[in-house]
Amino acid sequence: MQQQQVRQFVERYLASFSAHIVESHPDYLTVKLPVDVDKDIGNRPFYRSWIEKMNIPYHQPLVLTFAFHPDRLPEGLRAEYLHLGAARMQQIFASTKKHGRFLCMYEQKAGTASASRRSTPLVPWLGINLKVSLLCDKRRDILLYLGINLHNPRVVRDFTSFLFRLPLTPTIPDYFYTLDRRITVAQALQMAEQEVAEVLRQEDQAWAEEARARLQEELAILEAYYAELARREPESAEGNAEEAAEEERESAVLGEQSGEEQAEQDQSGQKSQTPADQIPSMPAPAPEHVEQPQSSDEYRESGGRILDFLRANGIQVTPREEIDQQEWKNSTPDEERQRRMDELAWQYEPRIEVQFINGGLFYLASAPPAASALPSKSGSKSLASGRIV
Amino acid sequence: MPNIPVTFDNSWLDPLTERMQEDGPWDKWELFKLALEAEEAMAVHEFDQLQSLKYLPLLSPFPHQLQTAERVLLDMRGRAILADEVGLGKTIEAGLIMKEYMVRGLAKKILVLVPASLVIQWTKELHQKFGIAAVAQKKEYMWRQHDVVVASIDTAKRDPHRRHVLDIDYDMLIIDEAHKLKNKRTRNYQFVKEIRKKYCLLLTATPIQNEMDELYNLINLLKPGHLGHIAAFSSNYVEGKRQSKNSEKLRGEIEKVMIRHKRSDGGIQFTSRRVQSVPIELSPEEQALYEGVTRFVREQYHAGEGGVGGFNSLSLITLQREVCSSREAAFMTLYHMHQRTAENSPVRERILELVEMIKRIDTHSKAAKTVELIQRIDDKVIIFTEYRATQNYLQKYLHDHGITSVPFRGGFKRSKKDWMTDLFQNRAQVLIATEAGGEGINLQFCNQVINYDMPWNPMRVEQRIGRVHRLGQKRDVHIHNLSTVGTIEEHILNLLYEKIDLFEMVIGELDEIVERLSLHHSLEENLIQIIMDSRSTKEMALKLDNMGHAIRAIRQTQLRTDPALSEAADQ
Repeated sequence: MQQQQVRQFVERYLASFSAHIVESHPDYLTVKLPVDVDKDIGNRPFYRSWIEKMNIPYHQPLVLTFAFHPDRLPEGLRAEYLHLGAARMQQIFASTKKHGRFLCMYEQKAGTASASRRSTPLVPWLGINLKVSLLCDKRRDILLYLGINLHNPRVVRDFTSFLFRLPLTPTIPDYFYTLDRRITVAQALQMAEQEVAEVLRQEDQAWAEEARARLQEELAILEAYYAELARREPESAEGNAEEAAEEERESAVLGEQSGEEQAEQDQSGQKSQTPADQIPSMPAPAPEHVEQPQSSDEYRESGGRILDFLRANGIQVTPREEIDQQEWKNSTPDEERQRRMDELAWQYEPRIEVQFINGGLFYLASAPPAASALPSKSGSKSLASGRIV
Repeated sequence: MPNIPVTFDNSWLDPLTERMQEDGPWDKWELFKLALEAEEAMAVHEFDQLQSLKYLPLLSPFPHQLQTAERVLLDMRGRAILADEVGLGKTIEAGLIMKEYMVRGLAKKILVLVPASLVIQWTKELHQKFGIAAVAQKKEYMWRQHDVVVASIDTAKRDPHRRHVLDIDYDMLIIDEAHKLKNKRTRNYQFVKEIRKKYCLLLTATPIQNEMDELYNLINLLKPGHLGHIAAFSSNYVEGKRQSKNSEKLRGEIEKVMIRHKRSDGGIQFTSRRVQSVPIELSPEEQALYEGVTRFVREQYHAGEGGVGGFNSLSLITLQREVCSSREAAFMTLYHMHQRTAENSPVRERILELVEMIKRIDTHSKAAKTVELIQRIDDKVIIFTEYRATQNYLQKYLHDHGITSVPFRGGFKRSKKDWMTDLFQNRAQVLIATEAGGEGINLQFCNQVINYDMPWNPMRVEQRIGRVHRLGQKRDVHIHNLSTVGTIEEHILNLLYEKIDLFEMVIGELDEIVERLSLHHSLEENLIQIIMDSRSTKEMALKLDNMGHAIRAIRQTQLRTDPALSEAADQ
């Protein structure tokens, strides 16, 4: 994204929230943020939640100045340089994704309908935009814009760029009616999945083969190394194993003790343990309570207080008596090998993720070009990863 | 694709169905388009092209740094030893690689382990240069709460932090000053080995300091078994402790995991240092004070703590140094000494005598010379002094002479340091910094340094200069050393400057030399001993001279053995 595009993007974003532009200068832009924008990019969740909790009808709008040229910042104004990598820009991106997720639009074909005064049918389409990520130790994304005809089931690619050429409106125009959906959205999703599989089948697979080859090569080195290690230093392996076993026995004993303690505590009618007590000693896995089922934002939106959230989800400080600097156990060569193998698989193993960007229902009078349904192999790549803007 | 697992996100199915039933709420067409455009701007269209640069418009990396990032990404698959020589910007390389993997969505949870003194600096650089929201680890909960954590290895390896660190799967682990992990029997080494990580960068300027094994250990941390078993490695590649054999083959193997750029490779231009001594003649009163204090310090020092004054040697040494710096600095210490001695002690009288001498002085030759120097330079200047009293006095003195200045101390909070740096850059002509002010700030926009007094520890001198003479400095760096004629300061400067060419050394070189001197005490302590124990100026000069010779000799041998030693490491 060039700076010119960044500016246009931000202007369009602000305009779609009817933001009040205080000043528009060639080098910068001063804007009063509307509430929805403030929530997404204002970075003041505490103020916002306070306003909401106290039911304050008005709020102090945030006024920001975005500069688009790093060397030409406006004087006397606190401006921030906005570019693709700026944190604020990423927030704006996230905001568009949040507010531009689901659509329902109708094609408004001028002329024909009103002239003939006869009703015209509109065909229901499901349009979904997907990001297909090819992952190994590297990554490549393919953006797919699929359209599925829900009346007369078929799939077309590059559907969204076709949509961009049509006059669309959020309400059904007069003298139009919609045809019924003969398949459900879930069925359409299945068709989309097949289409994605087809696209992937046509993709060059060298990346995955290479990644697998690298993985095998590294695994072979590892295998040989640990075999040699076991051969040359059997005693160290055993020693470690014995040590480990001893420590295991010790920890087992400790475990029993703590079990007894707990029983005692229960008997004495004490309340349940504080979360901190539940942190098991090494090498047991981490305490479960650190898993956070929801983010603080979600929690707050559901009406909870921030402090309660922190209390419930925060990581307690390990009490002093549980801190033990002596406790130290090295992995055995076997554990080490296993860990390393896991790391390698994690790093190299090829996998594919398909993410939903946005989508919606489109009722169209025009039909997308059928040719794009089955493009030739050579054309597929450019189509699949082509840009729509 | 056959056999490649595909995960298909269909979490949108329910919300969409719900909206279809309710006929809304629907989003806006424009925002829908914008969301798509955003996704397109962020998508990674190529496997093998650096993506991070378009997110970093303000960063202009050097070609060798870009090259490093590309090689780590493409050839080394995210596991590498970055072993550029000091001052070539390993941090930038690591930041680039980190950003690249973050932008590609391949790394989220990242741990950066650095020496404690560098934690803040790393955090700040990641923020400012790379827009990475790194946090310096302070509390236990931070390990989990934050994605990019910078911590010191000594904290991380201790319970209870250790259990958190060893429990987390890190997408990326970065270790600065990794040569400290050269010994595989240390806790640190074993700790790092236990951390689960996908990508890993080890940063060190000296992959081999003494023995070939050190390099083996480092590589084994990165990729166990890459060089085979240690015995096989020894028989295949090691001739003597510091000698390699089958160098070609070894180099090939090492090249797969290590990148090393050297200054001598060319392409990386450093500006030169211009060092200048500024001799200062003391006025008779000042000279008298200096001699009076020196005599007093010697006497008390040799009397020991059991002596009449009962001063400990530390405060005496401080006094000796302070009198070289300014009379204000000495006055404060004398005052405290006076307060601490018994009322009827004869020492009290001696102290008062010295104080009287201070009162009699109405000139300040050093400060006057400094003003003259600043006026001649007519540009931004950094003045370094060791003492706060000197700093305060100087600020007032400069103010009286119409020169704007800002103070800078190690004790300042981060925000205040930034504020002062900013003021210096935009408003003031002079920054007066005390010693600790050095770390973590970049002052490359300034190229004039005045050493108002000389630290007795050469490393500190190096750190002072290192603030301005680094990658990014576009002009030659001028260093002015104030030296009062006929004082210890002159001798120290003589040793540091004339004898061991301190100012001409490459950054980092001194580090190695001092390490090899294997003194029982630090260089500084040795200097103190010489200065305090010498009965005459002549004796002191002689001893310092010997010291200078020793350092020189080591430097010579180092220059000779270095090629053989680092042959394996260098490409």
